[in-house]
Order: sequence, then structure tokens, then C-alpha cells
Amino acid sequence: MTTAAWMEALLAAPLAGAVIALISGRRAAALVGVVTAFATAAASIALAFAVSRSGVLRYAVGGWGRPLGIDLYVDGLAAVMVAITGVVGACISVCAAGYFAPKPTHADLPSDKHDRAWLYWPLWLMLWGGMNALYLSADLFNIYVTQELIGLSGIGLIALAGGSAISAALRYLLLALAGSLLYIVGVELLYAGYATLDLQQLRDRIDANPSTFAAAALMTAGLLAKSALFPLHFWLPPAHGHAPVPVSAALSALVIKTGFYLVVRLWLHVLPGLAWAHLATLLGVLGAAAVFWGGVQALMQERLKMMVAYSTVAQVGYLFMLFPVASVPEALPGALLLAASHAAAKAALFMCAGSVLAVYGHDRIRSINGIGTRMPLTAVAFALSGISLIGLPPSGGFAGKWLLISAAFAAGAWWWAAIIVLGGLLSAVYLLRALAFAFLEPPIAGFGRAPWGMEATSLVLAFIAVGLNFAARPLSELLNAGAG
Amino acid sequence: MTADAAALDILLAVLLVFLVWRLLTLSDLFKATILFIVFGLLLSLAWVRLRAPDVALAEAAIGSGVTGALVLDALRRLGAHGAVDEARPLRLNLARLSGGLLVACLGAILLWSVLSLPAGWRGLSAEAMAAMPHSGVTNPVTASLLNFRSHDTLLEIAVLMLAVLGVWTLDAEPKPSAEPAGPILDLLVRILLPLMVVVAGYLLWAGGHAPGGAFQGAAVLAAGGILLHLARPFYLGNHVIIRLVIGFGFAVFLAIGVMLVVGGGRFLEFPSRHAGTLILVVEAAATISIALILLALFVGNVREGAGRDAP
Repeated sequence: MTTAAWMEALLAAPLAGAVIALISGRRAAALVGVVTAFATAAASIALAFAVSRSGVLRYAVGGWGRPLGIDLYVDGLAAVMVAITGVVGACISVCAAGYFAPKPTHADLPSDKHDRAWLYWPLWLMLWGGMNALYLSADLFNIYVTQELIGLSGIGLIALAGGSAISAALRYLLLALAGSLLYIVGVELLYAGYATLDLQQLRDRIDANPSTFAAAALMTAGLLAKSALFPLHFWLPPAHGHAPVPVSAALSALVIKTGFYLVVRLWLHVLPGLAWAHLATLLGVLGAAAVFWGGVQALMQERLKMMVAYSTVAQVGYLFMLFPVASVPEALPGALLLAASHAAAKAALFMCAGSVLAVYGHDRIRSINGIGTRMPLTAVAFALSGISLIGLPPSGGFAGKWLLISAAFAAGAWWWAAIIVLGGLLSAVYLLRALAFAFLEPPIAGFGRAPWGMEATSLVLAFIAVGLNFAARPLSELLNAGAG
Repeated sequence: MTADAAALDILLAVLLVFLVWRLLTLSDLFKATILFIVFGLLLSLAWVRLRAPDVALAEAAIGSGVTGALVLDALRRLGAHGAVDEARPLRLNLARLSGGLLVACLGAILLWSVLSLPAGWRGLSAEAMAAMPHSGVTNPVTASLLNFRSHDTLLEIAVLMLAVLGVWTLDAEPKPSAEPAGPILDLLVRILLPLMVVVAGYLLWAGGHAPGGAFQGAAVLAAGGILLHLARPFYLGNHVIIRLVIGFGFAVFLAIGVMLVVGGGRFLEFPSRHAGTLILVVEAAATISIALILLALFVGNVREGAGRDAP
């Protein structure tokens, strides 16, 4: 099959799966969901291979072509993001099949929720379809619609947990709406100025006038709010900390990356014509602040899930340190490798927290004594994903930070490198603190049954996070997979 | 532009700003809601003045009508205690002041950038008009929504579907006590409901060549359903039939898009000979689904069991 066929499949399969899951209801939704998940994951890997073989592709949906119609566009960057989403998404689906199965084992999912648990599948597949559509789109307004799809399905998914998750979901709704509003105002200004919504045509036509600057600023602000960059991160910990485990994993590992991806797309590919050195520095500084603020907050958390959620605030910070050094060729592969390994490691960590929650009935860090002996799989998964998040070799986190640090030195800006190293130390402190309680104390009595599906999936994801150590070269090749 | 038209525009603009100010500051939420509905109607007049009748129809039907009904219903469920917002009238504090300054800056930036735009802007209307003969319809708005940018519309129908899924994830409410419908409401339903079905069908059909289309038709149909629900309360639940109808429009749209790929074309590439028929099929399916979606949002998620009302 050709690149175009894989793109069609990646758009249509999750959306079709979602509507079939919706119609088939409680009995068959999980089956439809898992089958769709594996098909979509296979297609996303196939797309990456197709792009690395035959280069970038533009695809005119409806046959009209830009500027009248909507174009899809896949290059190395989009293919990488789709592949991350595919692989991690499949793992999350496997975990969810166990988690949302009709048996009341989960402390954070009250039993009266079980008759609604199947709604997870249409919502999650819609979310996935929205992310694929976002990464593959070359049209600013179409990207707005995909963000709405992602935002609304995310809100429904968080609300599945019930109770205090509802207010977190509402807060997320308001934030997402505010972000979308800023973004769409920017899009309208650009359309008014250049009579096109196509990214490539905008790049060719852009000139530095007040309206363009205003549009760029508004869109960036909206996207930063959605990617939870400090100080716009306030909505993230309650939303990611209270959602059901597979939902936290999906939001933290995947959804956050859509905002980051759009900022990269916007500034590196659409608006490089604007002189944006000051903004790049500002993004880097905010990233550095996020690394420290998120790290310190993670250290102060009592609950494992909240700690993992605050760790996302910190990890988003590293990604944005790409911008001040973006002129160096290693920088983008470094940031993407970090994004990929964070996606795998963070999904794994949320599942570890979920397994602990299922076995212990709570996730208070001070009382999770003995998971090392009680739940060896989870403990290993926790340790391996921790290695990647800290950035110890060998792991994807290490390889990504290595590339970013080299880029910082190549750009003559050693201080970014220093912040990346210090941030790694900080994450070591909070992750090892939790792990210390797990290994040092003896086990106590009174446990629930370990959800083996979730444990096994977290281990697979943790191995992926570590294995990404060797992905730097293929990733760089894919990113350079020609303007051919 | 004549002086009368200019005066009307200025009056509209002043009224809109005044209404927003009033509805944000009133402590009586019922009055605020009524002002919100009036605001929506005046806004649709503004769209008419901007010569965008399709947007005006959608604004009146969905922005003012269905949304207004939703807000009124939410207010009723809050009960007597919810009807007055004790935090209002809003006093100035540091947070509100900084929020206000932020919005003022945003407004200034927008004004500045709009003024810096080139005059006599045509957008993509020349391209759109050139492509009209191949679009299968003669209403440029429908051509844009259902053909040139059909991908957007497909995803937007999915967004509407998600709204209902979101309602279903929330805790079900106990059934509100049903009051018997008065004879006037009953009579109104008898007269209006058939009319509304006809109007919805007309709007759907008219969309091909005049202002109208799936969203507007669906809003009218949903309004009929809401009226019926007010007179004789019924509850939808999420049985398979309901789910089928809610997913129907999206499923048909997506299936047509995929079948065109299987037939050798591109995704959602309507062959210009059959484009008109395909668009009508998609719009008809979408009208039914969107109407039920809007109605389901209004009826909400009501706990089953506690004895049905006599029909």
C-alpha cells in the first residue's frame, strides 16, 4: 500500500471504530476498540516506513486542493508523532480492555460507573482519530476542528471517573475552550491577511506585519495553554490525576504532545520568516521554569498518581527547551525522542500507579511498602520508566537529552544543558523517593488482586522507553526523509 | 450604504454590547438568560447585515434557540436557590481588574491588526465561485461545508456526537416531577409540530440552492422535539435505537468518504456528476442525527425506573 492509503486508513479507521463501538454498545465496544487499536497502530508504523521510503506526501481531501479545499500533509515530523500515538495508543487500549472490563476491582472507579464504562471506547477512538487527523492536517482551520475533537473526547474521558473528576473535567473544558478561542482568532487573522489556511502557502506568503505578529502570538498562547507549559499548567495535575488510569496515560503521554507539535509546526515550518529569537528564548525560559516547578511539586505530592501528573508538567518543560537551540540539526530529533520516550514512560508510570491502586486500594506514596516483592513486574516497569524519565543510559530519555545537550553546546548556550542535567537530578529525587518506599519496607497484609493486563502493558511500555535509546539514528533519518 | 442602514448598524452594535454587559452583571439569572436569548437573536440580525444569512439562521436556531432552551432548563433544575447568583453584581477586585485589562489589551491588538489588513479583501470567493459548477449544489455555503471543506464538517458532526457521549458519562439525574401540560401548550404542540417537521424538511432541501441545510433543519426539528418534551415529557436513555440514530449521520458521511476511496478516488472526493445526490444523502442523514443529538442534550441523562409518566 502507498503512503496515501495509510493516511486514509489512519484517518478513517479510528473514526469508524468509534462509531461502530458507539452503536454496538456495552457488549462489543471493547472488542471493536481493541481490534481498531491494533489496526490503527499497524497503519501508523506502516506510514512511518512508507514516508522513510518514499518521502513526504501532500493529499487533497475531496480532490479540491489548497487553498479552496483541505490538504493533508505527511512528513517525517508528522509520521513520528503518528507512530508514537499508534504504539502507545495500542498499549493503552490493551490496558483499558482490562481496566474497563465489568468487574469492580478498581478503587477509583466506583461500581455504579460500570454500566457506563463502555463509553470509554467510542470516546477514546474519537480522541485517537482526532490526534491522527491533527498530525496529518496541513490546514489551520481543520487543525482547529481536530483540537475540538480531542478536547471534547478528553473531557468525556476524564468525567468517566465521576466524583471529583467532574470538576477537573470542567476546568479542562474551560481551559480547552479558552485555548481554542485564542487559536481560532489567530487563524482568522492569518486567513484575512493571506487568503489561505494552508501551512505551506502561509509560509511562502508570510510577511512581518502587525496582524501576523498578533495572530502568531494569539495562536501560540492558545497552544501553550493546551500543552500545559508553565505557568499555564494549573489545569493539568487535577485532570490527569483524577481521570481513570488509561485516560490519564493517554492524556499525559499523547494529548499534551499535540499542543507541542503544533507550536513546533507553527514556528519551525510556517513562521520561520518572522524574527522570533526573543520568543524562542521565552519558550526556553518557561520550559526551564516548568522543569523546576513541576519537579518540586512532584516531590511534594502524597499520591503516586498526582506525582506522576506533576512529572508531566516538568517533562513538557524539556520539550520547549528545543526552541532556543532549534537552529542546530540535533535539536529537533532530540526533542522528538524525548517526547516519544516520555510518552512510553509516562503511560507506563500511570499504569504502575493504577496497578498499585488496584492492589493496595490507595496510592499514598508513604504506604506503598513492598511493591517490590508484592508486584515485581510493576516495580521493574516503574524503575525502567524512571530511568528513562531521569535520563540515565541506556534509555530513550538519555538519548534525547544527549541530543538536546549537544545542540545546546553547539549553539553556544551551555546553560540550557545545565538546566537539563539539573532537571534530571530533580526527577531522580522524586522518582527514587517513591521507589524507596516500594523496596525498603517489608510487605503488609491485605491486598487486592494484581491486574496482570495492566502490569504486563506497563512493562512493555517501560521496555519501549528504554529501547528508544537506539532510535536516535532512524528518527533523524525519518525526519530528513526528503523533500522528495 | 444609506444613512438608515448605518443607523441600524450602529444601534445593533451598541445594543449588543449593552446586552452583554447587562447579562454578565445581573444577579437574577432568569433575566440574564432571557437577555442571552435576545442577544442571540440580535446577533443573528447582525449576521444578516453582514450578508451571511446561513450564519444568521444557524445563530438564531442553535445559538439563541437551542442554547437558550438548554440554559433555561439548567436554570430550572437548579431550583429556587440557583435562580439568584449571590456573587453578583460583580465587584471589582484584583483578579477581575487584571482579567479586564488583559481582555482590553486583546481587544486593542485585534482592533489594531484588523485596521492593518488590506482593504477590499475578497478571500477565496473567486476560487469558490469558479469551482461551483463542479460542487453539485448552487448555494456556495453548502458547497463549502459539504464539498470543498467536507473533511471539517465530517469532524464537526463527530464533535456533536461527542457532546452526547459526554452527557452520558455524567451521573444520571432523578426524573424531575412532571407537571401536566396546560391546554395551550398542548394545542401549540399539535399545531406547531407538523409545521416544524415540514420546515425542517424544507430547510434541508433548500440548502442546495438557498440559505439552509442540515444544521438549520436539524435545529428546527430538535426545537419541535423539545416542545413535545415540554408538553409530554419523554426520556431517551441510550438504547441501541437511540445510539444508532445518533451515529447514523456520521456513519453515512464516513462510509461515503471511504467508498469513494475504494472506488478509486480520493477520500470524500464526490464525483461532480453525483455530488448533488451524495450531498443530499449526507445532509439528510446528518439532519436526523443532529436533531436527535440536540434533543438528547436537552432531555439529558435521566435515571430510568421511577415509573413513566402517562403519555
